Amino acid sequence: MNTLLKIEYQKIKFYRTFWIFLGLYLLILLLVFLSVQLFLDWLAEKGEQIENIDPSKIPLLQFPDIWHNITWIAGLFKIVPAIFVIISITNEITFNTLRQNIIDGLSRRDFLISKIWLIVILSAVSTVFLFLIGLIFGLIYTPSPEFNDILLYSFFLIAHFFEVFLYLIFTFFLGLLIKRTGLTMGLLLLYTYVIEPIITFRIKTDWITGLFPVKAINNLIRFPFKKYALREIQDYVAWQDAGIALFYIILLISLIYLVLKKRDL
Amino acid sequence: MKSTISIQNLTKYYGRIHAVENLSLDIPDKSVFGLLGPNGSGKTTTLGMILDVVIPSSGNYLWFGSPNKKANRQRIGSILETPCFYPYLSAANNLKIIADIKQCSYNNIDKTLALVGLYERKSDKFKTFSLGMKQRLAIASALLCDPDVLVLDEPTNGLDPQGIAEIRNIIKQIAQHGKTVLLASHLLDEVQKVCTHFGVLHHGKLIYNGKVNEVSGEEYWVEVASDNLLELEDKLKKYPHQHSVRSENEKLAVLLTEKSNIKDLSAYLYEHKIIPTHLFARRKNLEQQFLDILNQSENEYASQN
Repeated sequence: MNTLLKIEYQKIKFYRTFWIFLGLYLLILLLVFLSVQLFLDWLAEKGEQIENIDPSKIPLLQFPDIWHNITWIAGLFKIVPAIFVIISITNEITFNTLRQNIIDGLSRRDFLISKIWLIVILSAVSTVFLFLIGLIFGLIYTPSPEFNDILLYSFFLIAHFFEVFLYLIFTFFLGLLIKRTGLTMGLLLLYTYVIEPIITFRIKTDWITGLFPVKAINNLIRFPFKKYALREIQDYVAWQDAGIALFYIILLISLIYLVLKKRDL
Repeated sequence: MKSTISIQNLTKYYGRIHAVENLSLDIPDKSVFGLLGPNGSGKTTTLGMILDVVIPSSGNYLWFGSPNKKANRQRIGSILETPCFYPYLSAANNLKIIADIKQCSYNNIDKTLALVGLYERKSDKFKTFSLGMKQRLAIASALLCDPDVLVLDEPTNGLDPQGIAEIRNIIKQIAQHGKTVLLASHLLDEVQKVCTHFGVLHHGKLIYNGKVNEVSGEEYWVEVASDNLLELEDKLKKYPHQHSVRSENEKLAVLLTEKSNIKDLSAYLYEHKIIPTHLFARRKNLEQQFLDILNQSENEYASQN
């Protein structure tokens, strides 16, 4: 096994907090997806209509729509693995283990790569989990699944991988700069849910707002549900969105490397 | 003689403060080098720089004559200030991470834990350890991969006398195996007991560098005791190569001239049918020498500023 991956795995294997966060994240996703159809059925039972459509007939969890829908919903909960990334990074700083790792013989670049491995693991677990959920729920809820429809739109899984990956890299950068666990969590929440939404709401111009990091991350998978109100949606990953995301990945990893390289530990 | 590390003009500024200034130093292979200096004199910053965690403002250093810093660090065992481990991992799992980083096998883990007396606690989490146990785990981690050099920064800080003695024994054992030890300390006694060479840092400058024996100079004190102290004192006072004899609780201390040494003295005592129960060459007090060096430097420092 790759040495750096092995080192990172040694750090989380017996760390209960890691397993709690991972379990919590997957459990939340599972519960949300389980309740989606129940919620629609409940709406239908109450006689509610969404734009004159019977809610229980909306094919939210049917092939091929399911991939776009579940990956967008899962994107709402990427804050959970992000908090674990903050804990992992700020722990290394407050326990002085980052310093000790370097003294023992890791290079700063090795440390960066080992943490990217952690982020890859989290993003990959999330993606594989969504793939299984999508496959199982799709087969259950699609009345007569067509083979060609099953994996249509499954490219959203790849988009989901990069959405989580980029957000966690962004979190890594914040944690490294701020160093303190609680403060980083507070600032991440504040920035993601208050500061950037207010700024982008004020600016309104799409191409400018799309340059802000959280917006750029979320733009990889656009809001899917308007199509059930018969409005046009973007049911693909646009090249420019992917380009901006890639730019941020390169920029943030370079900045992290620079901070690690220049800082006295 | 080959150098384990060769340091050239190493300098570190923190803003306007000169933490370390133009430090040049060669540490010979197989020496036990003590880096002395008062608190805040730049010892820890120096060690931080040569271990690549503090980035020098200028200057350079070369371990083992090789520019591969990462591989070099893998050959160094270090114990710095406070032990740093993952609190939620067991002793053994913490050592596994170190073995992976240093690319050595896990086979030594149990043996090394036994050496520092932590084998029974190997599955317990680091955070449940007492300070002494944490320190011993730090020693285990330093010895784990059979290092070529041991770097220690105030290794006996916070240890009880038994722990201090253990650390001393470990340092001596390591040195006997032909390895180099670099020990930073403000405890002179510690340096005098284990070191072969020492350097003195003051206000970030290296103001002295030499062998511990050289400091002892030409004349030195020898402690002697025997069953009959009165007779012993009488004979010692008649010994031609002594400057003075003084009595120190249950022992006598003789200051020998440069023409004599401990061997001659014991031959002399044997001739006079005195069998010493205690015979110990005490090097001239390092503490006095150290304070002299510091005072001198302090005066120069004061006149410059």
